[in-house]
Amino acid sequence: MNRSPTSLVDTVGAGAAAPAACADRGVAGSIFNIQRYSIHDGPGIRTTVFFKKCRLRCLWCQNPESQQEQPELFFNAEKCIGCGRCEKVCPEGAITLRDGRSWTDRARCTGAGACVEVCPQGARSLMGRVASVDDIFQEVSEDAIFYQESGGGVTLSGGDPLAQPEFALAILKRCKEAGYHTTLDTCGFASWHAVETIMPYVDLVLYDFKHMDPDKHKQYTGFSNEPILRNAKGIHHELKVPMRARYAVIPGYNDGVENATALADFIANELDRSIPVDLLPFHKYGGAKYQRLERVDELADTSPPSEAALTALRDIFLSRGLTAKVGG
Amino acid sequence: MITTSSQSLQKPSTFTAADEMSPRIRRLKERLYVDRYPLSIEKSRWQTQAYKASDGEPQIIRRAKSLACVLDNIPIFIEDDELIVGQGSAKPMGLELDFYAGLWPRDEIEGLREAGYDISPQEETEILDMNAYWQKFNPLPRLGEDASEEMWGFLKSGMVLPPWKSRTDGPGGGYAESGLGLGPGFYLMTVDFEVALQQGLLALISDAEKRLTAIEYAEKDALERAHFLKAAILSLRAIIGFAERYADLAQTMAAVEADPARRAELEAIAQICRRVPAHPARTFREAMQSFWFIFLMITPSPTASMGRFDQFMNPYFEADLANGRLSEEEALELLQCLRIKDMQLNRTSGKAARQKNAGMAKWHNMVIGGVTKSGEDATNPLTYLILEAVRRLPTAHHTVTLRVHDGTPEPLMKKALEVVKMGTGMPAFIGDRSYIAYLLDQGVPLEEARNYAIGGCLDVTLPGKSRTAAVGMFIVSMVLEATLLNGVVRRTGDAVGLSTGKFEDFKTFDDFYAAFKAQLRHFLKLHADKNNAELLISRELFPDPVRSVLMDGGLAEGKALLDRTYLLENGALLNMVGMINVVDSLVAVKKLVFEDRVVSQAELIQALDANWQGREDLRRRFLEAPKYGNGDDYADQIAVDLFDYWADVAASLRSCLGGAHKPTGISVSSQWPGGAQTGATPDGRFAGECLADGTMSAMRGRDLKGPTGLMNSAMKISQNRYQAALFNIKFHPSAMQSDEDLRKISFLIRTYFARGGKHVQFNVVSREILLEAQKHPEQYRDLLVRVAGYSAYFIQLGKAMQDEIIGRTAHTGAG
Repeated sequence: MNRSPTSLVDTVGAGAAAPAACADRGVAGSIFNIQRYSIHDGPGIRTTVFFKKCRLRCLWCQNPESQQEQPELFFNAEKCIGCGRCEKVCPEGAITLRDGRSWTDRARCTGAGACVEVCPQGARSLMGRVASVDDIFQEVSEDAIFYQESGGGVTLSGGDPLAQPEFALAILKRCKEAGYHTTLDTCGFASWHAVETIMPYVDLVLYDFKHMDPDKHKQYTGFSNEPILRNAKGIHHELKVPMRARYAVIPGYNDGVENATALADFIANELDRSIPVDLLPFHKYGGAKYQRLERVDELADTSPPSEAALTALRDIFLSRGLTAKVGG
Repeated sequence: MITTSSQSLQKPSTFTAADEMSPRIRRLKERLYVDRYPLSIEKSRWQTQAYKASDGEPQIIRRAKSLACVLDNIPIFIEDDELIVGQGSAKPMGLELDFYAGLWPRDEIEGLREAGYDISPQEETEILDMNAYWQKFNPLPRLGEDASEEMWGFLKSGMVLPPWKSRTDGPGGGYAESGLGLGPGFYLMTVDFEVALQQGLLALISDAEKRLTAIEYAEKDALERAHFLKAAILSLRAIIGFAERYADLAQTMAAVEADPARRAELEAIAQICRRVPAHPARTFREAMQSFWFIFLMITPSPTASMGRFDQFMNPYFEADLANGRLSEEEALELLQCLRIKDMQLNRTSGKAARQKNAGMAKWHNMVIGGVTKSGEDATNPLTYLILEAVRRLPTAHHTVTLRVHDGTPEPLMKKALEVVKMGTGMPAFIGDRSYIAYLLDQGVPLEEARNYAIGGCLDVTLPGKSRTAAVGMFIVSMVLEATLLNGVVRRTGDAVGLSTGKFEDFKTFDDFYAAFKAQLRHFLKLHADKNNAELLISRELFPDPVRSVLMDGGLAEGKALLDRTYLLENGALLNMVGMINVVDSLVAVKKLVFEDRVVSQAELIQALDANWQGREDLRRRFLEAPKYGNGDDYADQIAVDLFDYWADVAASLRSCLGGAHKPTGISVSSQWPGGAQTGATPDGRFAGECLADGTMSAMRGRDLKGPTGLMNSAMKISQNRYQAALFNIKFHPSAMQSDEDLRKISFLIRTYFARGGKHVQFNVVSREILLEAQKHPEQYRDLLVRVAGYSAYFIQLGKAMQDEIIGRTAHTGAG
């Protein structure tokens, strides 16, 4: 498919369509937030750039607004007064008025944002924007002095930065030229070519493991974990980039003893005991985001894991000689 | 006796979070929380009697005699469990009414009752009688009756809070605080505690006596000096006599005490009070008691400073520890007893002034850490113990402020942040670099500069070598209004300002900006005139022999506080409130009116007059204009320029005490009454809405880039030119969970201070908790919030103030 020798955009897994639009964008990409004083995404005081777009579709995704590449509409129905200004300006004719509020046909919405501009209530906002590498570098550089003192730097997160590999590469290169520490937060679902091209500019990888069973992985995220586990090994053994493993604990999905044991064994035996493990408990903050996206929250009835359950899971990692803690 | 930092590193590990206050401290603490506070007029009664008896004598002698009469006669008591003794009021948790800052007419007495103070009808009658006597010592009519029309318009405008109601009564309402010394209270200064602790008051008396006999009457000021020395001797003897009364009382109580343990404690108290403050303190416990007696003599004052307490107390502590006379736990208990003693010092003021310093405000500031006079790290074991005492007994007072320099040990930062994390807002952090740079710029020698302390919430003082006696709360946003209205104060309709032209007629932003600066200079000149008049009146009416003696060269000079010029002459300050709203407003006007021309001048004036009603679209545009607090140069450059301009104007306005006015930035809680007096402003603020808090802080909700973005703006401002520059950051507890989180905050603080930042303090409390506390105040009686330079009990603050605190941006570290 679509692959050119210079492009980092690639397909992995079966049946994934190549995101052709990304390849020719060069030094611009799609992001949805730049978070300053980010303190739980790597060492020191950091700035985290949240990329739009992720290839996986984890049922429990806590940042659903990050999944698509194009901007997505956030709609707060409580604020809507049904004035109809948005209906008049929508270029796609995707908005209708009913029951004293506006309704957006999500299939037709392109994220153009005309409705956001005219909404007098601030009920509509757009998640995501196109930004150039220059823009991003300028903003992350504002806190350069704080990185110096604290040993901090820049973290790319998302979404998955590896879903916009050329954009990620360009930002990372600029940051390394400026001497910033760089961290990449990824689920590792990318071609080896992309991984090996980008990793030389990464000082630390935060690597997210979703599930150890390939079938369950496919069931919950849309893809098998095979390339993810292969890339993890390559990053550690061949590219030798320091790594922290991250395990988002989702009750009822991946919090079984069997899965945790498989993950602990994988890290201890296939990677290295020196890799620290962070257990990140599922939380409910994502729920409101699904509402605003007018999507169904599949995990609406799931509760955060108990302290006892987390401790028991953590102990599995400790018993394999790994360092593990609850929380990022 | 300087400890190396490697030794002090061992200290924090001694205590764990499991260590709690002792049963004694717990009992003492419980007695602090009462539903209604008794008002006492014992002190005024004795003062009035002494004043009446000394009619015609020199003012300073009358003052000394009135102090002596109070100390000889006021009822005293020792509470169960107390180790440090000495009460600031004749009643437990009471407060003593004063008359030096205004009188107490019937409506004010009623106001006090409503605010939770008990006053009997008989006391009320006596207060009204005393009003009649003290009228001749009331400074307010002296200022008001001689004021020019322009000055009267200025006083009435409330541009300096609070607004005056009449030429004779000023803003109305007097002053009440426990503490037995002489007023006035609002002096930002640190007396030389070391002299009292190390030499004892008898040595000072004997020095004064020698100087009195040696006076050469050929000198023009000889008689004044003689009066001063006589007053000093009278006062110092009275203080010793007061301590002896406590010794007698303790002895009497010991004789009838059934519990042998308590009997031994009372006997020890008796011995100590016979010894200090007359003689030099020999032990930590004697030093603590001596310190407290002296402190009672420099209060009532909400701004009395405790100085560099860890520096002058540590030698006693370490010597006792080495000799086995004292354990760390015992020292900790004494430090907590001191916190209790300070909590017992109650305070209030008249209705109008109560708002500007909400929540029983006082700033009894204990400064710890920093560098020694020779530039070494000054951290010592007591530095850690003082923080541990706050951790175990997190009461609102006394305040603790940590001086941070490049070599401040990281374990000390960690200890301090662990205390911050508890939500006390303490300690506040201040940067040695910026404070010392300010002092050097004022011509203070480096060694002296390194020894600075804090007076009030954040203003620099030199122990024994400076005193600030005039500081107001100047509402800058009212100057912006007067510029938009061609010199008319919106609140009163009086043309007190300059005629700089109609806003509609300005052709360029530069012209408008120049007009604003001219108005600002004009109003600051009026403020400086008011300061000078107050200082001169105060100098005549209220000489204070005690504080004057406890200043460097006090006896040698033989002059009262306001008759001298000090090494750091910061007697009069110009303090800004709401400057950031003005900055944001000017930025928005520049961008939208003069550059992008999306709105006409007339339209803006109409929208402001209408308080944005019907022009929500316009308000949104003004809200979206660039704002200070995001590191954006477009907005920040006006802030930089205006802060420099303010400092330049201050330097051009003379003080009657010598030198010029000094610039400072401490909003306390004046952003609320200041906001109530200001109409809608072009930063998108509604009429009456609270102004931005602090001095370096952004307007609530206008800083969108987190603490680093906010600091990036603040670091551009020349804070080194300021005496103080208040900067509050509210942190959600989630940003302070792990040790690693605390380390990151430590880096944040260090980076800010390394690049010109002067102060930062953290409010660590969740929005949910605050909302809950608003709903169920009875369950949150000890919920502390940092208001501005001091901590207050949240439930004691007014609803508006509570809302403001809830509204401040909660910075959550992302993760």
